[in-house]
Amino acid sequence: MPRLPLPPPSRRRRNLAVALRPNQQNDPKQPTRTRSSDRRAGAVRRRGVQLLAGAAVLGLVVGLSGCGKADPYYSGGSKTVTITVPAWAGAEANVAVAKHLLEKKLGYRVKATQMDEPVAFDALNSGQADAIMEDWLGVPNKEKKYVEEKKTVVNAGHMGVTGHIGWFVPKYYAEKHPEVLDWRNLNKFAKDFRTPESGDKGQLLEGSPSFSTHDAAIIKNLDLNFKTVYAGSEAAQIKEMRKKYEDREPFLTYWWTPQWLNSELDLVEVKLPKRTPGCDADPEKVDCAYPYTKLTKFMNARFAKNGGDAAEFLKKFKWSTAQQTEVVEWMTIDQMDTDEAAAKWVEENEETWKKWMP
Amino acid sequence: MSAPALEKRGTPAQPRAGATAGGPGGGPGRPRGPLAALGSRPRLLALGVAVLVAVVTAAVLDGGTWPTALVYDIQTRLDQVSDWLTDNRDRHWIFLYVLLHVSNFATGTVDQLYLVLSDIGWIGVTALATLLSWYVAGAGLTRRSLRVAALTVFTFAVCGLLSLWDYALATLSLMLLAVTVSAVIGLLLGLLSGLSNTCERVLRPVFDSMQVMPAFAYLLPLVLLFGIGAPAALVATVIYAAPPMARLTSLGLRGADPAALEASVSLGSGRVQRLLTARLPLARKEMLLGLNQTIMMALSMVVLASMIGAGGLGDKVYQGLSKDSFGIAFIAGTAIVLIAIWLDRVTSAAGEQLDAPARTTGSGFARACARLRGWPAWSGFLALALLAYLTGPLFGQRFWPPEWTVRISAPISSGVEWLTGKIGSDVPVLGGTDTWANNFTLWVLNPMRDGLQETPWWAALLVVAALALVGGSWRAGLTGVLSLSVIGAMGLWEKSMDTLSQVLVALVFTLVLGVLIGILGARFDRLMRVIRPVLDVMQTMPQFVYLVPVVALAGVGRPAAICAAVVYALPAVVRITAQGLAQVDTAALEASRSLGATGIQQLRQVQLPLARRSLLLAVNQGVVLVLAIVVIGGLVGGGALGYDVVYGLQKSDLGVGLSAGVAILCLGLLLDRLTQSAGTRQTGSGRN
Amino acid sequence: MSETTQANPVFSVRKLWKVFGPKAAKVPGDQAYAGLSAAELRARTGCTAAVRDVSFDVHPGEVFVVMGLSGSGKSTLVRCLTRLIEPTAGSLVMDGEDVLAMDSGRLRELRRHRASMVFQNFGLLPHRSVLDNVAYGLEIQGMGKAERREVAARMVDKVGLEGLGERRPGQLSGGQQQRVGLARALAVDPEVMLFDEPFSALDPLIRRDMQEEVIRLHHEEGRTMVFITHDLNEALRLGDRILLMRDGEVVQLGTPEEIVANPADDYVRDFVRDVPREQVISVRRAMRPAADGEAGTGTALAPGALVSEAIEAVARTGEPARVLDGEKLLGVVGHEQLLAVVAGNGGGAGTSPAEEAAEAAVEDAAEDDSAGADRDGDSASGASESDSGAGDKDSADHGDSDNGKAVAGV
Repeated sequence: MPRLPLPPPSRRRRNLAVALRPNQQNDPKQPTRTRSSDRRAGAVRRRGVQLLAGAAVLGLVVGLSGCGKADPYYSGGSKTVTITVPAWAGAEANVAVAKHLLEKKLGYRVKATQMDEPVAFDALNSGQADAIMEDWLGVPNKEKKYVEEKKTVVNAGHMGVTGHIGWFVPKYYAEKHPEVLDWRNLNKFAKDFRTPESGDKGQLLEGSPSFSTHDAAIIKNLDLNFKTVYAGSEAAQIKEMRKKYEDREPFLTYWWTPQWLNSELDLVEVKLPKRTPGCDADPEKVDCAYPYTKLTKFMNARFAKNGGDAAEFLKKFKWSTAQQTEVVEWMTIDQMDTDEAAAKWVEENEETWKKWMP
Repeated sequence: MSAPALEKRGTPAQPRAGATAGGPGGGPGRPRGPLAALGSRPRLLALGVAVLVAVVTAAVLDGGTWPTALVYDIQTRLDQVSDWLTDNRDRHWIFLYVLLHVSNFATGTVDQLYLVLSDIGWIGVTALATLLSWYVAGAGLTRRSLRVAALTVFTFAVCGLLSLWDYALATLSLMLLAVTVSAVIGLLLGLLSGLSNTCERVLRPVFDSMQVMPAFAYLLPLVLLFGIGAPAALVATVIYAAPPMARLTSLGLRGADPAALEASVSLGSGRVQRLLTARLPLARKEMLLGLNQTIMMALSMVVLASMIGAGGLGDKVYQGLSKDSFGIAFIAGTAIVLIAIWLDRVTSAAGEQLDAPARTTGSGFARACARLRGWPAWSGFLALALLAYLTGPLFGQRFWPPEWTVRISAPISSGVEWLTGKIGSDVPVLGGTDTWANNFTLWVLNPMRDGLQETPWWAALLVVAALALVGGSWRAGLTGVLSLSVIGAMGLWEKSMDTLSQVLVALVFTLVLGVLIGILGARFDRLMRVIRPVLDVMQTMPQFVYLVPVVALAGVGRPAAICAAVVYALPAVVRITAQGLAQVDTAALEASRSLGATGIQQLRQVQLPLARRSLLLAVNQGVVLVLAIVVIGGLVGGGALGYDVVYGLQKSDLGVGLSAGVAILCLGLLLDRLTQSAGTRQTGSGRN
Repeated sequence: MSETTQANPVFSVRKLWKVFGPKAAKVPGDQAYAGLSAAELRARTGCTAAVRDVSFDVHPGEVFVVMGLSGSGKSTLVRCLTRLIEPTAGSLVMDGEDVLAMDSGRLRELRRHRASMVFQNFGLLPHRSVLDNVAYGLEIQGMGKAERREVAARMVDKVGLEGLGERRPGQLSGGQQQRVGLARALAVDPEVMLFDEPFSALDPLIRRDMQEEVIRLHHEEGRTMVFITHDLNEALRLGDRILLMRDGEVVQLGTPEEIVANPADDYVRDFVRDVPREQVISVRRAMRPAADGEAGTGTALAPGALVSEAIEAVARTGEPARVLDGEKLLGVVGHEQLLAVVAGNGGGAGTSPAEEAAEAAVEDAAEDDSAGADRDGDSASGASESDSGAGDKDSADHGDSDNGKAVAGV
């Protein structure tokens, strides 16, 4: 039959049922197919069917997911591990290596999902993600709430790298003006760091809003003639730093180690006042340097308990700053594909990862 | 800034007044001074006074910010809401019985789709998609259907070649679900607003807000409600992508040929019968266009979706950013653009197919195809998909073979880096874009921002009300004043003024450039043909991709944000301008040519006046699009509201993020209503 | 004559009103508004009376033409017949059943089975093939697919579209599209067909074809038809009886011959001025009593024969022709009578040549006054304020008796 106008209602319903049954089980494309087909004489009927089909699919799948109470800790299948990836390259390297080993050696499926630190904690809490591989302890309130109070998230140990945040200037500038490396002299050089964005104050370049920073408080409490200017993203910050570095211009920036860019740009840290106990307890009153942080892994509590080999493996995962930096440099400076870099590292460092295997 | 705008608006009316009065110069308003002209128009006078007051008070009084007494601390409230949501996520019934079902459904379905697609294998997926596109585009040996099929193969092959197969599948799975849900919801809302006038009145502002509100701002609440990953991404996409479907469905239903509908009534059809057999089918063209728009909007959410962990090609764009590799971001962006173009061509081919005659003649093959249309074809596809699903694993690799890939990201990165380095600072004499950007910030942006911030809040309200009044609409004035008041009450006055200054500057740039290019494009066909694909890419390429080069050119700061906004909003303005000029009545144009008008004269005296409606639409669209990019500006140092929204999302801070989002929405409503009211006034007076 | 005695008119319309505007319901009964012209009524009440106090019967098997210029309310009137437009007041009976009292289900039944309509703009569904368009009415009735397609195929053949069943409306010419509309209306096998200016969008040659098609269909099936047109020639050609409307009111109701030969007022007279009268008027109207000696000679004509036929006969024989009703001699027509008809002086019952000349002079004088020229009339160039006032009064005073007179005259 070349054309099929509206059949009587009873038959229409039967057709629909036939079309739908395979659909809910395993054919993903059916809804789109139905939709994109409206161009012929039978469009009328199909339009109606689409409506019904859409509603039915929704209804049925919701139905299948269990009427009544929903599982608040739903996440994929049992052999799927979801790891969060924050927006910096070092963390990406951790995940890439872990993913490679989990998939190739342990037979898991790994979902590596882009997520910032605070969101990642929420995801661990709800079970939508299983593990954070590198946390800079930047959200103490969430950590306290989930780890200590709700006990839905557990600390899974250090991942081997120690991180440090600070204020940095390029080496060429520090060599010319060595005094700049002490915070007490910063005001003297403020005019060198002026930009149109910072006005008549010196500019302290900040990165992404997701980074943990007390810089505004530090500036205020140390009475510095500086202003924080947010690049808005790590990418923008790096681009700006590279540009200034190439032109040998002075700049002062919020920065951290380990960072892959450090092997390309020579940066020197400006000394901030020594840390005293509790000097950064109140975010408004911080007036001291950032700590050295042992970067930590976190896991969803249920995953830590029932995660089997994957959980065991992730708990044991631990490598050195040098090893991480090596992978990151492959990824960034050599522009190697992330998965490829991970594969290469795994191939060359069997000794290290053998110890992580459950 | 309002004074020149006002003059521009005033002038076109005056020659008309003179002309109708008959004698040259004899009409009212021609030879008199500006003050007298103001006097004859009380509304203009009111605006003049308001602007004067604003300027004077801004200069005299210091600090014009909204008084703290009138600020309501919304942020703490929102933070409490946020805390409550995280605390009750696994306890409260609304989660257990409603929201979690939605999020489990989304996660489960997207996961399943992804698994099925990867089980079918790369050969199967490519083959099925090609077959399907070919079928939808007419299923024959016509040029159209073959071209669409070729495009499909090309798209998938590029995804594979650039080692993006896996990411592309993840994006496709999410998009399949998101587009389906958006289309269904859009259709239902469209039915409501198409069939009931009350619903239309209620829904229209809702649709407006859904589209003006930056998606960034509602990502966080959605994450809190539905959880990270697919669910929040799905809901965000639906919010953003459903309105066009709804609008166009409603438009189609309302515009259905009344003669056909009457014929249907006269044959005794009932309401439902008429809807199903006549009204909906008559609207199917608009609905298909709506689906096309919905797909495009949904695809523009891909990168945002990956910010909250939905994965896919957006992840790749992000990785590119974190490694400062334009190449990686660019090839991922290219894949997104290609998928967008592919889906666009498929849906428009399907649209053209609506008009195509049923094939009764032609080759045997075409006849065979024609015979297969309908359910036989669909069940055939289903069977094929099932077969591919079952046998797919037998054919070796599920993903594109790694040997068949090419590496082009590194050369692209270095090429662009070299280029931006050159333009950025090494241009002889002129100094390069970086220097320009610095001067621009110093001499234009800073004074403007300071000026707006110094203007007392009540004077700003006065100016807005007067502007709307000149536009002739009380309602626009009320909306504008209310919007500004909401901003003030949230305590975001200073930041909003900062953002407003950026938006206005970006708007001016966009309009000047866009109208100019549009005029040239309308004049020289060949130019238009060259720039059209460029415009397409500019519009579909995720903005994140060009952030890095933009920073390289303009440095971190507001000029970079403005650049990004101009790049994003330009295509629409160019297109609308060119279209408006091209659609000008050819008879009028011919008449002016026959009178010996030069090209410039034709443009100035005939084309531009007659295309005024389109130009105003271009302004309006420019406003909406520039605002949409304010948040992206926050990622390259634009600061102000955009930064707050990004901060809110990345720090999970509902108070900061949502209130800044609402402030952007308010700015959007304000500017949208002001430009719209100007539009209606112009067309209104044109009729007299 | 014969119609009045026939029982059960298909449609019986009495004092039907359709008023658009606020408080529309108050207009029909109110005597205060009765004598007002359309413009005055609009000024006084803000309402537009599209149909004003219209009464008529449509008899089984006849082609009933409603004719008027645009804005005369004829299209509204025909839509009132199946309540596509809800009448404001009056009564409407179809086959003895009160249409206005029908509930929506019953009304749908009426539309589905008893009256179907052909539209000026065709109203076809562009996404369906010709066949499915024709079958649309049957589909709405709930008929099975195979069956309705079979019926539709027959209809498609019947209206002369053989072999085009699979085309889309967009691929057809205007004439062909209207044939589809015709077939769609025929397919439901209605008791009465309503035509709303079906051919006015077509060009003249095709219009003539289509008119012949309608005549043919009417001959074959004898279906009752109500036909709306603004084209006098079409009305005269198709109509058994013609209802002439102006500003929503009935101006005259009668056979084509009556209207041409005996216009009710100046408006109608003006309308029919250019009609080739010999083609419309029968010899019965033109004949004079037979003089002595004429009873035996001359060509014999039936009383219904057209004057044009008589002219031919008289010209051929050179002597007056006889008008015979069976064996009975009714009268004779000679060249004087025939010329009088052609010249526009004869055949009229009421007007003498002298009167008509005087009226023509008045009309000429009023010609410049364009107040009444909202009609796009080629045949109504002489419309004037005084004219319309007279016309209004005329029909308001004795609209009903007009009907009676017209009917009785046949």
